[in-house]
Amino acid sequence: MRAPGDGHGTTAGEVLLAVEGVSLSFGGVKAITDVSFDIRKGEIRAIIGPNGAGKTSMLNVINGFYHPQQGRIAFKGETRKRMRPYVAASQGIARTFQNVALFKGMSTIDNIMAGRTLKMKTGFFWQCLRHGPALNEEIEHRKFVEEIIDFLEIQAIRKMPVGKLPYGLQKRVELGRALAMQPDLLLLDEPMAGMNLEEKEDMSRFIIDVNNQYGTTIALIEHDMGVVMDLSDRVVVLEYGRKIADGTPAEVSADQKVIDAYLGVPH
Amino acid sequence: MFYREAGQYKTSYAADMAVFPIRQDLIGVLLMLAVAYVAIPMFGSEFFLSSVMIPFLVFSLAAIGLNVLTGYTGLISLGTGAFMGVGAYACYKLTTIFPGVNIIVWIVVSGFFSALVGVLFGIPSLRIKGFYLAVATLAAQFFLQWCFVRIPWLYNYNASGAIEVAQRTLFDIPITGARATPETRYFVLLTIVVVLTWFASNLVHGRIGRAWMAVRDMDIAAELMGIKLLDTKLLAFAVSSFYAGVAGACMMFLWYGGGEASDAFNINQSFNILFMVIIGGLGSLIGSFFGAAFISTLPTVLKFGLPAIGIPLAGATAEHLTHIVVGGLIIFFLIVEPHGLARLWQIGKQKLRMWPFPY
Repeated sequence: MRAPGDGHGTTAGEVLLAVEGVSLSFGGVKAITDVSFDIRKGEIRAIIGPNGAGKTSMLNVINGFYHPQQGRIAFKGETRKRMRPYVAASQGIARTFQNVALFKGMSTIDNIMAGRTLKMKTGFFWQCLRHGPALNEEIEHRKFVEEIIDFLEIQAIRKMPVGKLPYGLQKRVELGRALAMQPDLLLLDEPMAGMNLEEKEDMSRFIIDVNNQYGTTIALIEHDMGVVMDLSDRVVVLEYGRKIADGTPAEVSADQKVIDAYLGVPH
Repeated sequence: MFYREAGQYKTSYAADMAVFPIRQDLIGVLLMLAVAYVAIPMFGSEFFLSSVMIPFLVFSLAAIGLNVLTGYTGLISLGTGAFMGVGAYACYKLTTIFPGVNIIVWIVVSGFFSALVGVLFGIPSLRIKGFYLAVATLAAQFFLQWCFVRIPWLYNYNASGAIEVAQRTLFDIPITGARATPETRYFVLLTIVVVLTWFASNLVHGRIGRAWMAVRDMDIAAELMGIKLLDTKLLAFAVSSFYAGVAGACMMFLWYGGGEASDAFNINQSFNILFMVIIGGLGSLIGSFFGAAFISTLPTVLKFGLPAIGIPLAGATAEHLTHIVVGGLIIFFLIVEPHGLARLWQIGKQKLRMWPFPY
């Protein structure tokens, strides 16, 4: 793995996504309070924090799934008003989930092909016939999907219903489905939760490869500090919905507030 | 023994994505078509055609429709009967107003009217799911059924309130009305069913089918991947109701030949078709055929088959016994294979592929 904070991507500079003063509450519960940070093009950005810190809520805001009461979000320099998940997806934001959210009744291929839905254009009429443009389009996208399958080394399970796959492979298929969207920004919600060391190392390698090979910007939530420190270029730390630190892994891990948040402070 | 894919190598994605990737499956389907088009009309009696095959095909079509909605998209509907009714009445009105246009055209076009009504009643599906949606579609069932009885315009102000099927011809051969032979009606219906089944199979194997199943399996993930939930669900409602509508039109014009329509499209019919889909197999086109065969033809087979092989049954006893046997079989199949007859079929095929080894 790379040395922590080796500067990859940090110099890229251009801001891909900016989160400014975002607050989100559900009724009386404040999930996120006045959080600002940015994600730069080409970097791996980690969002960490103790349980209930608002990390997943943050991803849901970026996705357009939750609408924050305050603050603004700009993706590719475009400030978003109220935005539907559909718009976020068509702008190039893809996502994996903390609890695997695959389409359980479908095969691996179909799951990843479903990720290409936005790129497929042939109309209802041709879909009914499944010949001509519809078939050509299907083949063309199948080729792309096969590349992803090769990349993730899941050739052997391409025809299996994903519900029957072991957890580690399901996580991999889910990554594949997100990659099929050819996203500019890939959000990974605990991609390594519940994995053993070997699976974690595999997944880390895939994340780095995605970042290097496709140049995809990645924002990930992860609890394994070793992984976070190794993978990410910059880290933002949340606690009780507030941002308490932001910087390179080295800076963040030396921050007293972060240490307090994770280890607790005597009262 | 015969059912092996050994030696069948796929060298293109097109071949790998084929609906029947194993050659024997394709041969099997062609054989079935040959039987349906040649053997059955040749050897089947008039009774067999009009009391077994025609109902079976009509219900298959309706079951495919409901399967698109419930099996593929995961939306339960109890309004299938009413949507069938919309198709039947639309067809009746259309052929009354434009008698010159071929009836087959109107049977298909009436599906679009049904699709429109289906979309209308499908709008709540964005917000409500599961049993609650079932109740919402129940509203469609009762409302439309009320319309069928209370709006005399729909049945052309007949004194009887029934649909009267006039004679319509294709190339001077009567295909509806009293003088249409069961053979002609069977051929017309079979062709409609084959073409629409082919369309349905294409749809569920492509982009649209994947979107439907994605919504069924994990709607949040589907939404975050850019699949528009409302559009996808409404399309499922439209396609489903289209099939139901065509099935309803076929039922009135090619099977019943007219009659008290409001009874044919009541809530019992909706349940009947839902049971076909559940017993046949949710999310399986072949399952729709199995389910339709099981529920629509088994009573007929028991009623007329048992006396034929020497077990005497008469009148009410036969009626009661069929209910008991069919009910028992439904429970038996649901216990043995809760995923329906389609799954049993799949398991059987898998066993054949592996034979003589257990796995």
